[in-house]
Amino acid sequence: MRWLLHGLVCLAVLGAAPLLGAPLEGAAGEFILLELRVPRVLVGALVGGTLGLTGAVYQALFRNGLATPSTVGTMAGATLGALAALVLGAGALLGLPGVAAAAFLGAALVSALVLSVAARKRATMGDVLLAGIAVTLASSALASGLQFTADSQALFAATQWSLGHLPQVGYDALGWLGPLNLGSALALLLLAPALQGLVGGEELAETQGVPVRRVRQVALGAGSLGVAASVAWCGPIAFVGLVVPHVLRGFGVITYRQLLPLSWLYGAAGLVACDTAARLLLPGRELPVGVLTAAIGAPALVWVVARRRSLG
Amino acid sequence: MTDLVFDRVGLRLGARAVLEGVSLRVAAGEFVALLGPNGAGKTSLIKLGLGLALPSAGQISLGGAAPRALSPRERARRAAWLPQAERPSEPVPVIELVSSARYFAREPHREARARALAALERVGAAALADRSVHELSGGELQRCQLASVLAQGAPLVLVDEPGSHLDPRHQVAIYRLLGELWREGHGILCVTHDVNLLAHVGGDPRVVGLLDGALTLESRWLAPALAGELSQLYGVPLQAASGGGGRVFHISAESNGARP
Repeated sequence: MRWLLHGLVCLAVLGAAPLLGAPLEGAAGEFILLELRVPRVLVGALVGGTLGLTGAVYQALFRNGLATPSTVGTMAGATLGALAALVLGAGALLGLPGVAAAAFLGAALVSALVLSVAARKRATMGDVLLAGIAVTLASSALASGLQFTADSQALFAATQWSLGHLPQVGYDALGWLGPLNLGSALALLLLAPALQGLVGGEELAETQGVPVRRVRQVALGAGSLGVAASVAWCGPIAFVGLVVPHVLRGFGVITYRQLLPLSWLYGAAGLVACDTAARLLLPGRELPVGVLTAAIGAPALVWVVARRRSLG
Repeated sequence: MTDLVFDRVGLRLGARAVLEGVSLRVAAGEFVALLGPNGAGKTSLIKLGLGLALPSAGQISLGGAAPRALSPRERARRAAWLPQAERPSEPVPVIELVSSARYFAREPHREARARALAALERVGAAALADRSVHELSGGELQRCQLASVLAQGAPLVLVDEPGSHLDPRHQVAIYRLLGELWREGHGILCVTHDVNLLAHVGGDPRVVGLLDGALTLESRWLAPALAGELSQLYGVPLQAASGGGGRVFHISAESNGARP
């Protein structure tokens, strides 16, 4: 019953989003609705869901409330890749727009580096966290170096990309995002009981039957794949992965059996709502959605933390 | 039959030998109290038995197979662990914490919760089921963790310092419950400092002692020589006295604490 309610709320947000805005009439209106707004809402839902869900999973995995989808360096790697493509001039790779392809490659490479640390026998989650911080810092440094050599046009494009946005990509992006993000979400949702077990401690969970190392690999692997695909298309969208699970916790959603599916649903609905607002707020111009998620997310996080100091 | 056998087991961490040549057999249905001073390697031995670490020398057998060769699920079927109290990282309700002990069983969540509730009733903590684990006192938390062990239902139970941080009433309650589990047929390996609490297990449990990584004591709770053996193990003169219907060990007053 409660699940039905949550599902309906999120569906209502997704359904209403493409209808809001300037009135649509005639063939042009139909084109805007079906070819621009509907795919954009679907991209927003896939990306927002991935970010919210991955944030919740990483918070459980690292047993740290500050973990985010970018904790293992995925976002920094994507930023580096995108910047390299913009600065060095990007053609189409793998049939994708060059920027998205390069961002995906960067994200995948950096995540693979961190994953290889996580796969080592004696690695603790603290080691993985440190590796994530190290590759994030290194990627940022390289990105700064690239920016230094860039001309002003590439620099402007890079800045725009790094703000986070839902692109007008029609259905092309969905062919990539659909399978990657839905596959990653499914793998992560199935981890809920194992992640619940980790709450009592990694070693205790192992004695209760949780294959801790495999859970770690699946979570980091599936998580960074979904996040890499998302960032590649939309840039690093801040705060969704951090804030959505915490706001849900603030409303009393505590077990991972509930938190994971709800983070997915409300991550999707939340990002679509933000994107719609970003589209409507300034007449005649669009605000990058990443600016809006940060503007709403930061105070929301402070509110949650002020209300209850629980996790991490 | 799940017995736990350590055969000439050694464990090195860097240059330090934590355990050396330890041979110990905990037969199915046996209660073994493992005593020893701080840093003697007691917790390491338990973790080796659970397959949480690999020995650097020797063989371990948990119900006929090396623990590390078994999947975590199969290990969970054979042995359960009551660790030294560690507070869970999130404020989950007690019932969820205890339900997690059923992970290995691949059963519907409703069933796991039912077993968890039954286990909580057994330790007298059913009223705590919906409380957040972060609101529990140390004693309540340990009782709930004992409920997890009961819910897991493994034939062998490895217990690490169950009485630490508890007031006397809760200490006694935990040891009585361990005694009950023993009489129901569970094998129990219980690491403890507080030898006097063994009086509440009932019966005549086996007592072994670990000193500097090697087993140096093999005795029984009711053995007359135990006082002398414990004195050697801990390096303080202990005397046995009878009081309250059982044995009590205390440090001889004239020794004035540790001897050099």
